[in-house]
Amino acid sequence: MTVHNLYIFSRNGVLLYYAEWNRLNKSGITKEEEAKLMYGMLFSIKSFVNKISPLDPKEGFLYYKTSKYTLHYLETPSGLKFVINTDNISQNVRQLLQQLYSQVYVEYVVKNPFCQLNEPIQSEVFKSKLDELIKKSPIFLNRSL
Amino acid sequence: MKPQISDLKSHTSGSSGEADESLFEYLHAEIMNYVVSKNVPMNKDGEENLTRLEHMGFYVGYRIIERITREWPRFKEELDMIKFICTDFWPPLFQKPIDNLKTNHQGIYVLQDNEFRLLKRLGNNDSKQYLCESPRLIAFTCGLLRGSLANLGIVSIVKAEMTSLPSCKFHVEVQRV
Repeated sequence: MTVHNLYIFSRNGVLLYYAEWNRLNKSGITKEEEAKLMYGMLFSIKSFVNKISPLDPKEGFLYYKTSKYTLHYLETPSGLKFVINTDNISQNVRQLLQQLYSQVYVEYVVKNPFCQLNEPIQSEVFKSKLDELIKKSPIFLNRSL
Repeated sequence: MKPQISDLKSHTSGSSGEADESLFEYLHAEIMNYVVSKNVPMNKDGEENLTRLEHMGFYVGYRIIERITREWPRFKEELDMIKFICTDFWPPLFQKPIDNLKTNHQGIYVLQDNEFRLLKRLGNNDSKQYLCESPRLIAFTCGLLRGSLANLGIVSIVKAEMTSLPSCKFHVEVQRV
């Protein structure tokens, strides 16, 4: 099991934070362009899922899976979007995203009076706590692929 | 919708909900930002003028000590009062007692908190990132200490010292007349 990378987007689509751990394939475009592309796709999937759903979509879009990786998506009621790419056998990734939101983002960004909300996150404590959370989770298993 | 509402109620009836803990921190942060945005003039050494925050802390401390000491007998000496501040005054306000108290027995006390509540979200493991902004978060507490000591009959000067972030030392200098 392994965690590839993580994006955090604000309600308006600003890339607040990006981190990567085991990413073998680079997109070949800049981080900004990649973030726009990613946000655009998520936005489209979200509206697609909600429109096409034959039943009440409730939470809507949760994840998608390809033959190689799975993209997990968590959106809070305030519009923050947490996106994490893992391999296909990882379990309980949603729980990890919830933890990331409540134990790291709220604690070290929202409660830090010097962090501007809706702007890219600069706090070093946030970075180290996030890295710690991901690395100690059972999903993260550093394996050379 | 109904189950959610009842759920919410049972949650908030608990003694320490999320709001209880964080309300003070958010309000304190906003007061700090307000005061800092209001005073443009800096004093000579390039330090920010934080006296207004310190004054607010003073009056809060002056009032709060009245309530907190009501169950207590009179203190015998100065050291007892300082000890009271460390062990009984600090925990209800900052969720933990002071970690270390030093004194030279001549009116100088050093109170050290290794994980000060208002600083612990800003840094860990000696991070220096927010070190120059952090006095803003401390000024109120310095005033709080000075005010509470003033109402116990100790006139003092309180200064704070920070070298690595979640920890903070308060120097209390008692003024003898």
